Amino acid sequence: MTLAVTFSSLTDVDFWVSVLVLAGIYAIVAVGLQLNTGFTGIVNFGMAAFMAIGAYTMAILIIKAGFSFWLSLPCAMAASMLFGVLVGLPSLRLRADYFAIATIAMAEVVRLIAQNARGLTGGNQGLFCDINNPSNCYTNTWNDLSDSINNFISNFWADPPSLLPLLIVIWVTLGIATFVLMRLQRAPWGRVLRAIREDEDAAQALGKNTLRFKLQSLAIAALLGSIAGFFLALDLRTVHPLDFEPLVTFFAFSVLILGGLGSYPGVAVGSVLFWFVLEGTRFIDLPDPPFTETRIAAVRLAITGLLLIGLMAFRPQGLFGKRQEMVLGE
Amino acid sequence: MNEAASNGKPLLEVEDVVKRFGGIRAVNGATLDVRKGTITALIGPNGAGKTTLFNVLTGFYKGDRGSVRFGGEQILGEHPYEIAQKGMVRTFQITKALAAMPVIDNMMLAAADQPGEQLRNLAFRPRAARAREKQVREQAMGLLGLFNLDELANDYAGTLSGGQRKLLELARALMAEPTLLLLDEPMAGINPTLGARLLDHMRGLKQDLGVTILFIEHDMEVVMNHSDRVVVMAEGRVIADGEPHEVRRDKRVIDAYLGEVVVDSAAGEAPPA
Repeated sequence: MTLAVTFSSLTDVDFWVSVLVLAGIYAIVAVGLQLNTGFTGIVNFGMAAFMAIGAYTMAILIIKAGFSFWLSLPCAMAASMLFGVLVGLPSLRLRADYFAIATIAMAEVVRLIAQNARGLTGGNQGLFCDINNPSNCYTNTWNDLSDSINNFISNFWADPPSLLPLLIVIWVTLGIATFVLMRLQRAPWGRVLRAIREDEDAAQALGKNTLRFKLQSLAIAALLGSIAGFFLALDLRTVHPLDFEPLVTFFAFSVLILGGLGSYPGVAVGSVLFWFVLEGTRFIDLPDPPFTETRIAAVRLAITGLLLIGLMAFRPQGLFGKRQEMVLGE
Repeated sequence: MNEAASNGKPLLEVEDVVKRFGGIRAVNGATLDVRKGTITALIGPNGAGKTTLFNVLTGFYKGDRGSVRFGGEQILGEHPYEIAQKGMVRTFQITKALAAMPVIDNMMLAAADQPGEQLRNLAFRPRAARAREKQVREQAMGLLGLFNLDELANDYAGTLSGGQRKLLELARALMAEPTLLLLDEPMAGINPTLGARLLDHMRGLKQDLGVTILFIEHDMEVVMNHSDRVVVMAEGRVIADGEPHEVRRDKRVIDAYLGEVVVDSAAGEAPPA
């Protein structure tokens, strides 16, 4: 059996830009998870739902309700945060593990509604640009903006990758989110969150309304999820129920664990590493037969899984997590 | 001990409180007062309902019946954080040091009125938050100094010894500026030297800061010598309530609980086992 690696695609700029776009999107999701799970101690398995609500609300408001692109974004963010608060109000009173189960259920409910409310969401066909009516397309405003950014960039770099503007916007957004959350974490507000993570009863006994803080934490994660949802919709140019499967949340959790619980900058590094491994393994050429395309896809996931297992064995706190906090937290 | 204190007005009035778990009445009609400016001990055999009563008083359990008035205000059924904000602050039998947080953060967390705990203040009044943070840090370092923990301020609370954690929990409770402090077995599991210091702190709090203290304790030597009032519980009820010397002669108390302690105090001078 021969195992060969082709390097030709490794130098393909367009390809790596698209990988970095995905890494940025998942980093934004994982930053929300970091706030919830790393700093508040609430295990949120429902990020895919917030992404779906962000993406669908944006697309539906533009396509069906005639909203402008710029108006649809704050509306979609608000919808996602409101949904987060509504879900959190009953479920955040539960114990942490029950809350985690409730969030998986929530994410599946949202996805199944998206799959079945055909009139609104396009069902299993999803929402995409109608070739016969290109004026009514949720990506139009973004495409124009993206083109003008690339026009500007072409002054310095001839023929930039078409996804470069999206890449820039995503990573700037991630940078801002990371900066703001790190500031919040050092503020008294962040101290209360960490106290809730350590021992919610103790925080309550010291006069902290822990439910309110947990709701805020969840609402901010929902906001980040919706933003990641916009970016995914702009990247893929369709909004489809399969893009918001629970797997999305678990990938984001892998990113979080790789980067390290309790470190915001670690999330970005973890995400880049995760996607480079997951996508880079595409270039491992295995003989066909026995390795058909679907089998290779499975092998790629297996390699990524092995990497995570190895990391857990040798560096359980992740790349940037604090081992002491992890050991003491138990 | 202190006549004026013993005759003080009740700060906490507990009336006929019932807490059921299924068919078991863990607290079964408990009635007691805690007078302002006293150190009151809550004693009784294991399973008497002392900790359960603490949990009802501080809102961690919902009482099924009865009334709890704190400073004249009905608080039964309120959330733990509301009760704490009103000035009734508790510690736990098993210390709840926030292990993966530094000692100083444990302390600063407890401060009341920190505008920086609200997102909108962080956005619009960041200066107020910073100014308060500075005050809080000074206050916290002062208290840590008092408890000889100041050198550990930047260590993770989880690295502290059991006794140090007890001290930290008491110091942290004081950061919340309580009027009534509920201590659940503050002396359990700490060495006699540290225990003596803890008792000194409790007396100092009462005398210097006017803090009223209700504490659960099993060490009868501590109870008899360091409290102004003693409340005795058995089987979910209060069976006696009075000054230490009255309670120790109470027939019901001797039958239910002190029986063994009479032997203890006969060997009073001997060091506790």
